[in-house]
This record gives sequence, structure tokens and C-alpha cells, in this order.
Amino acid sequence: MNTRIPILKLNDVLIVSVQWELDDQTAIQFQEDLLKKMHDTTAKGVVIDLTPIDFIDSFIAKVLGDVINMSGLMGAKVVITGIQPAVAITLIELGIRLEDVLTALDLENGLDKLNKELEA
Amino acid sequence: MEFRSSVDIYTEWDIVAARQLGRNEAKKAGFGTVDQARITTAISELARNIYLYAGKGKIEIERFEESGLNGIAIIASDDGPGIPDARKVMEDGFSTSGGLGAGMPGVKRLMDEFKLETEVGEGTKITATKWLR
Amino acid sequence: MNKRMIASINENMEIIITRWEELMKVGQDEKFFHFMPEQLIEKTSNEFANLMTSNIAENDIVDVRQLNEFTEKVVRFGWSIKFVNKAIDNFSKVVFELLEEKGVIDTANVRNYFTIFQNWITPLRENIIEAYALEWERTVSLQKIALQELSASLIPVFEKISVMPLVGTIDTERAKLIMENLLDGVVKQRAEVVLLDITGVPVVDTMVAHHIIQAADAVRLVGSKCMLVGIRPEIAQTIVTLGINLNDFTTTSTLQRGMQEALAMTNRSIVEVE
Repeated sequence: MNTRIPILKLNDVLIVSVQWELDDQTAIQFQEDLLKKMHDTTAKGVVIDLTPIDFIDSFIAKVLGDVINMSGLMGAKVVITGIQPAVAITLIELGIRLEDVLTALDLENGLDKLNKELEA
Repeated sequence: MEFRSSVDIYTEWDIVAARQLGRNEAKKAGFGTVDQARITTAISELARNIYLYAGKGKIEIERFEESGLNGIAIIASDDGPGIPDARKVMEDGFSTSGGLGAGMPGVKRLMDEFKLETEVGEGTKITATKWLR
Repeated sequence: MNKRMIASINENMEIIITRWEELMKVGQDEKFFHFMPEQLIEKTSNEFANLMTSNIAENDIVDVRQLNEFTEKVVRFGWSIKFVNKAIDNFSKVVFELLEEKGVIDTANVRNYFTIFQNWITPLRENIIEAYALEWERTVSLQKIALQELSASLIPVFEKISVMPLVGTIDTERAKLIMENLLDGVVKQRAEVVLLDITGVPVVDTMVAHHIIQAADAVRLVGSKCMLVGIRPEIAQTIVTLGINLNDFTTTSTLQRGMQEALAMTNRSIVEVE
């Protein structure tokens, strides 16, 4: 049952599309995999697309926040895309604001945003 | 009318099972996508608390009709250590596990009604209800 | 109820109604009665008298259908509950006086009649007030639905830019609805910037500000940017006085300015053509 989230590389950007519900193990495994890949490829940015995800609890939110901070330490920018309205509302009501996190409506916008951030 | 189903929480995987059950029940009860997300998230928080602090316990989902009002109740119970400072866990940002400390007050905000019964050494029971409007 | 009394009331119905109308016109505080056309007054008075006496013959049971019809009418006329209550008081007063005049009530049986009157008026009053309250509740719930229907739709103005005008008071329930409509709209319309226009919001207190901040936060999470526009001077004053921190997102005084900024954010501008 140990599933891994695929991480794709496109030029100097890593693209992650989370396609199914995240359980705790998968989330932690993903954190490790992403950081390792970043180190191996010297990617400057990551886009994580969460379009199919229909809920995020405080644990997953923490893992995501940690990944973003860790990536920052390694010199990479992260953009989260495709957070669903219902997910955004529950996160806010939980009191999780994910401040300073870059977001975009979809993968395309996310890549644009990331490129702009990297140019700046 | 009442429909009750439950999931025992022993491992991390049971958290996934509990929220799956909750999502299905919420769907059956006729909740919209936002409320489904609220209920699923609340279950996940409560189930994780059982797993982290009590080791084992139970999540029950109850779908009911009360004087024309429909709703869903999540009952999270365990025979764990109980919560010594029940008021403190309801504060935002309080955590003993290095988490975000959003769990308990968050669940209260996500749901319409929230009841916490706990006794040190005896266990904890949390009932959280959401009404269908 | 006493047969003599019923007969006497029915015989003198017209006198009762006339006197009752006079008595009702004395009270200057209720304007509705004065502005009503003569015919309507007469019709309503007759209906009221009918209603008041409907339970006399029929074993002290109020005719529910008649009662409901009447209250509905009264609520539509805008009669206040105080006025209706006074109408009942005056009616029973007029009837009592008339029965005294006609010699039906005298010093010997006045105590008996007192009980009869109580048994007659009290349930009637209770029923009318209850029907009135129900009618009122119904009106309120209908208005609530009407309010919900007109609240908060997100309007796509330009590509990537949408506007949500907020009108009226924002309570917790409405705030939730606004948030859902806002986020669904943002994602469906692929809006990169949304302008929340609060020109039509009369009061911005800490609670309303909290809801707006939450909505803006949620908008940020789905990948868009929220701008607060239409901040009137008095709103700016209260926001600062209350110590509400809106520094995290862009605010402008008018929708026009907000729109210009939104266009700039999406690398566009409006130019005049020759």
C-alpha cells in the first residue's frame, strides 16, 4: 500500500501532481522524495498541483508548510496550485493560513508565477 | 431515523478509513462539497488525536433526523490518558506533539456543535455535530 | 355563552361597529386607520366584528381559517400588534357598555358576565396574537430567503478580473455564503484578481472585518488575489480606530481605482482611442 507521488522534471522546475488522497505515510515519503530530487537535480522551483484533493487536514497542511520551508532553505521556490474552494474554506476555518505560500489557480498559472518569481 | 457506523482506530491507516466513511456518510446525508470537506477534515483531526495520544479508540459516525432537522454527528472516543487541561487544548496554537495546534479549536469551528468530555486516566469522548441546512 | 347576550350582540351589531370605529379613531398614534379609504374601513371593521363574534355561537371555538385570513390581511395593512390589541380591547369595551345599556348586564349578574367575557376575549386574543406572530415569522423567513438570493454573486468584468459587490449587513451565515460563492466563482471564472466592493456595507466592525479577512485568505489559497474596494472615509476611520489590521491586502477607496490596479496587476491598462 506504499504509494509514491511521482515528481517530474521540466527544465529547472519540478512538477508534482497529487492525484489521490494523501495519507500520513505518503505525505512524509513525498517530503523526503522531493527534497532528494531537488538536491539531485538542482531545480530552482517546484509546482505542486492539488486539484484532485478534496480535503487537507492540519497534519497534511503542516507537511506541506514544512516542505515549502525546507525547499526555501535549499534555495528553491514552491508554488501550490489548484486548491479547491472547499479545501481553502476548511483550511481557513481550521486556522491554517499558509502565509507566505505562493499559490495559483492552475498548473499553467503556477508555472508562469514561478518563472516570474525566479526571474525577479 | 438513525444510521450509525464506526471505525476502530489502531493504525495510521484507520485514519484514512475513518475519513472515507465520514465522507460517504456526509454525501449520503446530502451535504454540499464544502460541508463534506469540513466533516472529513474534522474526522481526520479527531482520528489523528486518538492515534497520537490514546493509541487506540473509535470513531463513530451517526446520521440522524431530529424534528425535521438532518445532521451528522462524529463521536470520537478512547480509553486513553484523558486531557489534563481541557481548556488549554481548545486554545489556538496549543500543541504537545509539535503539530500546528489547530486540531481541537479547528474542529469546533468546522462543526456546528462540539462537546468534550474527558477524565484523566479514564479517557476522552468528543461529540461534534453538523446540521444540514 | 349566554343566549340573551348573543341575541343582543347580533341585534345591535351595527351600533357596536360604529362605536368601535369611533373609539379606534380617537387614538391619534395609529395613522393607518385614518388613511384607509372609507369602504375599506367598513369592510375591515365588519370582518373584525365577525371574527370577534365568531366564537360566540360556536361553543367558544375560534374559526381558524377565518382567523388566518384576517390576520394575513391585517399584517398586509401594516397594523401593529399594539393596534390589533387595542382593537380587541375597544371591541370588548363597546360590547360590555352596550349590554349594560340594554339591561342585559346589571349589578346583580355583573360578576357572571365578567367570567363570560374573559372566556370569550382571552382565547380570541391569544389566537389572534399567535396567528399574528406566525404570519410575522413567515414574512421574516421569506425576506431572509429573498436576502440570500440577492446576496453575493461574482461578476466577471474582464478576463482574469471579477467583482463581487457586497450589499447590506454581513452576519456569520451570510459570510459563509459569500465565501463559498466567492471561491467557486474565482475558480470557475479563472479570476486572477477579485475585487470585493464594500460600498454597500453599512457597518464594518471587527466581526465583519474578520469575515472579509478570512475570505481574502481563502481567495489567496485557491491562487487568486483579493482586493478590498469601496472603503468610505467613515469605514476607514472605524477600521483604524478598532485596530483592525488590513495591511495584508490591497485596499482602495473606489471601484474605479481598484479596477485600474487590477488591470495593472494583470499587465493591462485601459487606453483612450482617438
